[in-house]
Amino acid sequence: MAVKDQFRLLWAYLGMSLKTLLEYRLNALLFIGSMIINDLAWMLFWLLFFTRFPNVNGWDFSYMIILYAVICFSYGLASGIFRNANKLQNIIANGTLDYFLPLPKNILYHLLIEKSSQYSLGDILFGLVLAVIFIPIYNFPLFLILSLLSATIIISFQIIIGSISFYIGNSRRLSASLNGGVMSLSSYPLSIYHGIARFIILFLIPAGFLAGVPVELLKSFNLTWFLLLTGFTIAILLIAIGVFYKGLKRYESGNQMYVRS
Amino acid sequence: MWLSKYLAIAKINFKNEFTYFWDFLFDSVFIAIIIFIYSQLWAILFSTGHYSDISGYTLAMLVWYLVMTESIIDFISYVVDNIGDDIKQGNIANYLNKPYNYIIYIYTIHIVMGFVSLILTFLLGSIVAAVTVGGFSFNFLNIPFILITIFLAMSMNLLIMTFLGLFAFWMEDVSAVNFIYQKFVFIIGGTLIPLEFFPEWLAKISSFLPFSYLAYYPAKLFINFNLHQFLDVVAVQILWCIVFIFLILFIYKKAIKKVSINGG
Repeated sequence: MAVKDQFRLLWAYLGMSLKTLLEYRLNALLFIGSMIINDLAWMLFWLLFFTRFPNVNGWDFSYMIILYAVICFSYGLASGIFRNANKLQNIIANGTLDYFLPLPKNILYHLLIEKSSQYSLGDILFGLVLAVIFIPIYNFPLFLILSLLSATIIISFQIIIGSISFYIGNSRRLSASLNGGVMSLSSYPLSIYHGIARFIILFLIPAGFLAGVPVELLKSFNLTWFLLLTGFTIAILLIAIGVFYKGLKRYESGNQMYVRS
Repeated sequence: MWLSKYLAIAKINFKNEFTYFWDFLFDSVFIAIIIFIYSQLWAILFSTGHYSDISGYTLAMLVWYLVMTESIIDFISYVVDNIGDDIKQGNIANYLNKPYNYIIYIYTIHIVMGFVSLILTFLLGSIVAAVTVGGFSFNFLNIPFILITIFLAMSMNLLIMTFLGLFAFWMEDVSAVNFIYQKFVFIIGGTLIPLEFFPEWLAKISSFLPFSYLAYYPAKLFINFNLHQFLDVVAVQILWCIVFIFLILFIYKKAIKKVSINGG
């Protein structure tokens, strides 16, 4: 029953976002279009790169296509449904977290789903189109599962770095830098990292599990790495929830009067 | 005399920015990560043994090239959005009755912030580059020339962004325009990879557009200085600055007539 309630709430918020999107159609199209142009620009960049250097330690252009399919689709899902994960540091620092505290819903879940991003539709569409064209049909269910795991890692990581605001006040730029940094690290071939760098990217920050590992699993499935990825996803999600609620105990109300629109 | 008020604004802004020193530093951390990624990427390519240099670039030159492009480009990408907000929210009206010009005001405060950001990003980037690939041969006598081309590149970038920001008089949201512009600078401007690595047709197109004069040419002069190329680059940069100054004046004159002030 409780789960059903949470889904109803999510559905209501998504419906509201869709109505906003349809109200400002031209603006939405411009945003979605600019995101698709952004993704296409990166694909062009990698096409040019791999034309000049066809093989980077075992990775070729076909790996990059799958990498962008996974990363665009999962990032689109994460920011499309849980937009506030990336804004958590602002919500805490501004005191707007107050709004969620007295409501009879799970605080973290409610604040995460409260906003969605127009950009994300462009990413979701781009990722899906790449996947439909370039991933064999028998691998499509695996693509969906890996993308969901990847989206969970993105949201969990954003919760962790957003929660820094509970401890140091406004961490807007630090969190943005860390988020951008991890997303960047994950959007390059996993094969370029070796030694300590590879260990850090795989196990200390989630960049490798976020995209590189899913790509290698889609290219050549390996049960051990799949289980490692699943375990890592569950662990980072639990850590994120723990860090958020531990931080919440330190939260001081913004004591702010404002009208929600 | 007229310049002194803008310099005073710049001075205040400089002090303001240093109040948020850690914010600046956090921004630069992201660039350090990007430089680290590319040092790994190039190192892998060079480790295959197929290349001793790529189109004349050694491993160290490629990484230091990126340090310079990122230091120049990684500043004030939000100018377009800021101008857009000033116009959308009506703040522009507050600037019109002040004894200074809005466009020169925007230029002055951001060029100062740009140089602060440049120094920090370059220092942090240099540490990453020095640790990952070491140094490269550099003649310190070239510094004044390189600073001139960097200053012109930053001015060009600011002028183009101001030009794009003014479109907010006609468009609801200019952030999408900014987003696309930044991508052009990244790819056609040679921010991440020198233009020699791209097909000839793209390098040719790029030489007719302003983007490569924002990143590629200043960075190339930094790692491999050539006086003739310096003079050519500076001439083209000045030309592009003049073109955008005229475009801004033209569009600003037209746009300002659209402003209606209703008190408040």
